[in-house]
Amino acid sequence: MIFARVARYIVGRGISLFITVVIGVYLAILIANMGGYVDEIRKAQIREQVGSTMLADPKMRALPPGEVRRLMDQQIELEEKRLGLDRHFIWRSFGYLKDALTLSLGRAERLTSDTGSRQVRAILLERLPATLLLFGTADLIIFFTAIFAALSLSRRYGSFLDRAIVALAPTSAAPAWFYGIFLILIFASVLHVLPFGGMVDVPPPESRLAYAASVLRHLVLPVAAILVGSLFIGIYNWRTFFLIYASEDYVEVAKAKGLPSGAIERRYILRPTLPPIITSFAFTLISLWGGAIILETVFSWPGLGRLLFQAVGQFDTPVIIGSVVIYAYLLALTVFLLDILYALVDPRVKVGGETGASL
Amino acid sequence: MNRRSALKLLGGLAAALGGAAYVVFAPGETKERKARGLPSAAAGPSRQSPQAGLGAWVDEVVFREEADKAKAINMFEADEIQVYGLGISDPELYRRIQASRVIRYETSYGSSSELAFNPVGPTFPRTGELNPFHVPAIREAMNWLIDREYIVDEIYGGLAVPRYLPLTTAFPDYARLADVARRLELYYAPNPDKAKAVIGREMVKLGAKLVNGRWHYRDKPVRIIFIIRTEDLRREIGDYVSTLLESAGFTVDRQYKTAAESSPIWIGSNPADGRWHIYTGGWVSLAIDRDQADMFNAYYTPRGRPDPLWQAYTPSPRLDKIAEILDSRRYTTWAERNELMAEALKLSLQDSVRVWLADVVYIWPRRREVVLAADLAGGIAGSALWPYTIRYAEGGRRRVNFASPGMLTEPWNPIAGSNWIFDNIIIRATQDAAAFPDPFTGLFWPQRIKAAEVYVQKGLPCVRTHDWVALKFVPSIEVPRDAWIDWDAAAEKFVTVGQAHPRGLKARTRTVIHYADELWQTSWHDGSRLSFADFLFSLIVSFDRAKPQSAIFDESAVPLFKTFMSHFRGARVLRQNPLAVEIYSDQLFPDAETIAASRAGVFYSSVPWHELALGVMAEKNRELAFSASKADRLKVEWMSYIGGPSLAVLDRHLAAALREPVIPYAAAMAEHASRREARERYEKLQAWRRSRGHFWVSNGPFYLHAIYPVEKIVVVRKAPQFGDASGKWLRFVEPRIADVEVNGPRMVETGAAAEFEIKVTFGGRPYPSEDIEFVRFLVFDSRGELVDAADAGRAGDGLWQVKLGADQTARLGSGANRLEAVVTSKVVAVPSQKTFWFVTVDSGAKIQKAQRSVERVAPDEKGSRR
Repeated sequence: MIFARVARYIVGRGISLFITVVIGVYLAILIANMGGYVDEIRKAQIREQVGSTMLADPKMRALPPGEVRRLMDQQIELEEKRLGLDRHFIWRSFGYLKDALTLSLGRAERLTSDTGSRQVRAILLERLPATLLLFGTADLIIFFTAIFAALSLSRRYGSFLDRAIVALAPTSAAPAWFYGIFLILIFASVLHVLPFGGMVDVPPPESRLAYAASVLRHLVLPVAAILVGSLFIGIYNWRTFFLIYASEDYVEVAKAKGLPSGAIERRYILRPTLPPIITSFAFTLISLWGGAIILETVFSWPGLGRLLFQAVGQFDTPVIIGSVVIYAYLLALTVFLLDILYALVDPRVKVGGETGASL
Repeated sequence: MNRRSALKLLGGLAAALGGAAYVVFAPGETKERKARGLPSAAAGPSRQSPQAGLGAWVDEVVFREEADKAKAINMFEADEIQVYGLGISDPELYRRIQASRVIRYETSYGSSSELAFNPVGPTFPRTGELNPFHVPAIREAMNWLIDREYIVDEIYGGLAVPRYLPLTTAFPDYARLADVARRLELYYAPNPDKAKAVIGREMVKLGAKLVNGRWHYRDKPVRIIFIIRTEDLRREIGDYVSTLLESAGFTVDRQYKTAAESSPIWIGSNPADGRWHIYTGGWVSLAIDRDQADMFNAYYTPRGRPDPLWQAYTPSPRLDKIAEILDSRRYTTWAERNELMAEALKLSLQDSVRVWLADVVYIWPRRREVVLAADLAGGIAGSALWPYTIRYAEGGRRRVNFASPGMLTEPWNPIAGSNWIFDNIIIRATQDAAAFPDPFTGLFWPQRIKAAEVYVQKGLPCVRTHDWVALKFVPSIEVPRDAWIDWDAAAEKFVTVGQAHPRGLKARTRTVIHYADELWQTSWHDGSRLSFADFLFSLIVSFDRAKPQSAIFDESAVPLFKTFMSHFRGARVLRQNPLAVEIYSDQLFPDAETIAASRAGVFYSSVPWHELALGVMAEKNRELAFSASKADRLKVEWMSYIGGPSLAVLDRHLAAALREPVIPYAAAMAEHASRREARERYEKLQAWRRSRGHFWVSNGPFYLHAIYPVEKIVVVRKAPQFGDASGKWLRFVEPRIADVEVNGPRMVETGAAAEFEIKVTFGGRPYPSEDIEFVRFLVFDSRGELVDAADAGRAGDGLWQVKLGADQTARLGSGANRLEAVVTSKVVAVPSQKTFWFVTVDSGAKIQKAQRSVERVAPDEKGSRR
């Protein structure tokens, strides 16, 4: 009985999330193509580029004018055909949707992967490790440091450290790339102790160990920029969150009973706050997908953020949609798993309950 | 077919060995050239450096990506990079570069900004709104309304040169027509009052009324839709011009847009729809264009482009006719051409469907201790000679770090791979060429050619400058019957002229190319010896890709191939060792050097046949495709010789070729490549692939050592087998742009003779007279009217003299006059100009007044390096 109820819930939830993904992805296709207006932009760009290339080439200009025009027309037609602009956008949009939902992701229209592949999958996967390395390192440091620092501060409310964190929290008003510029100026331009950017020394070391050490050295400044930009506000948020729970009656009772502070934290503060912590952690993980456009540009970091920026700039719909659909699936899957996880970690939550039941 | 291969093909045509009797060498000129250290045919671009060895000057060049220009400047200061492959036009960054102790820079002049007008009207059919710019007189008046000096000084911060004409101020045609140009520039000097008067007169004619200082048409304000580009300083230009238009009574709708947003409007839409009136345009030229005679046709007539905007152009019948004559080169002498050009310049300004504003000067920074050859049009990124010249001036260091804003943008393959400029910077380091364009004049110099003979049909305009080319005019040119003219893809053999044209065939030009004697002694990077089979294979592939019967047919190769075939009249190998070929073609360029360099590309390849063969086999198997177009159509990977999934496919074909040495197009190739040689070549390629990790083999001064695609780092190293003298191209490191100084009396009595001295120097030393094309002077009276123009007389080393006779000074009348000196050099396209003010007075009694006049005007004297 319980199994059937859970199965029914899982199927229903899965279908509703899938429909949400379909709608979200198709909306993304429409937005990325400005409802089809991008076709006009691309046609005009092709026309402009072909014309400029030919006009700029003295050898081409040595040909009779009629021939140049005929040649231009042919080149324009070929390029429009290559990009599928000879078919109406609506028909192409369903092709984009199919490629996205089946995760075949299709072929890029303009971009190629760094190694030269047109496959959107290859384009995205090539940039993924760099993004995971940078943002994974920074976000995990921020997440766990913030949780544990906040937990500690929640027990030292009003202390010097607590007040210092509160005072530093507004530093997060500025984005990480802003601090990145200053860090580069100080540590690369002036002190010459850390690199200006990139992922590895130039030229890259040949041994793997030296290569890894070089990558770590190149990680220092961007990670530091992200930390400065996010850590204090993270600690402040979690601290406020824990403070609320720390002042609950049952915590006061536990304190009055003389339970050790570690036990109070584990049993009476951390446990009831676990669902939001898990949720936050899960969203932190999936937020790694996408990177950060400006930060990656400032540090010349070859991540997904810059890739997406290039794709948007060049109206490369398959790459944009590829990135969006993966995020959409990750998000849907996360939400789906969280539903189940909540039931496991929080006894108040029941899956697929009757009227009045949570979730 | 990509642009590189197309350019290779767009050379010419072949046919029979022709009369050596027609060849006219100029031994005297050879001697003269040598005497002054200029390149000669035998020595190539000589002038060896005392320390010169062989091959590249440095051991390694490491390319890295850096898109942030400001950060790149910091990296220069920290010595992290030594060269930057992106031109800078930001005045603020320019000031930082100037202030730096460690950064020096090269300059380039290949970009321009302009205002493009929508000429439809007088009202737009769709909206019924008035378009004042339908009227040529109003467009012409914009020239007087705009102060180009303001744009150059205040907006570009000095990083630009005022431009009034369709001719680029740094290119040879501007220098050739310098006197005409100066006259027009002075005529169209800023004069807002005149502009407003003309605009007012024409607006009234159009039925508009000035109400409270605003032009109204049918009781509505006349609204000008101004599409202003936002990515660069054209935004400021747009604002400046908008303000001027508002001061002239127009209501301006400033629409700020990026390239992507503006393209569908200005070039994509029908101008009759009235979606815009003015657009802040910009154009780029990456190489010096030696013949800009076609600019009028391209920019002022509907023949220029098939786009709707061009179709709306209605030039005057005379401009239309001259533009067509100049474009199709239907003139017989240079004098005739220049007369037509002068008239076209004047008419183009009267038409002003586009108003040119400035030639933008780009700054290409480098570390002080690094020197390299940069192109006057394309800068460092457009330089063909940078790999041959890059070095540390003081020696010592052996590695150069070279940053550019992008790289590895698209797959590299030798047929239709990446054509991105930043990829090509690197590719050029690995590939050698048959000839190189002079970075300062655009004229070609030989690299793998010993000499060339160019025969042109009598009556066609063509000139020769360098002595490595011999030019001869002949009554007619018959193409030999055994010359190759086409390719039979089914039979895999060449078609001869006799087969294709049984009644015979004539051509407008015949070019004989004598390649360097030591050509076959040179090696590819993988150690294989260069052979005729390499050139032949490349030629076959160029034909085969455009043939529907071929397994490597690619429809994207067809348009350019057809174009090539429209002027190609045949090719024939005269001798294989040393190689001599002849090409027959109807395609004509004004310079014989360009004809020769272009034809040499027909039989030349910077890729060995065994490397290209792998790609051909992969494409035949429909596993990969050379072009993006075909790859997309077949849904296969776009072929890359340097990374990605293509390598596994190429590996497979290499393994197969090693098992059974394959020579594609065996029928045509068998005579030139044996199976044993094929096996040796494939083995060398395999060894190369194993040691380097890629298939990119060529013959340039550097080889591709390592690629880090995600990290965006590429390492090229000095190719040990590249045997040219290191100093071969060093003379092209510094453009010898002349410094001009004019001295003479500040006061001249009318009716009395006067003498002025023009001093032409470079680096503080007199400019060699033999390198001066001409020193011309123009005298304008106090009303700005041209009174006299002539060549100055030579008076000594670096000295020229202007003598104004009594009658000439009498014609000036009283007032402040100016003498403009224009100097053009044979070794650099950029002309130099200097203005000298002097006063003519009626008698000595007026001398005090004249003195004050001189003091007032003298500070405005201007000289420029254009």
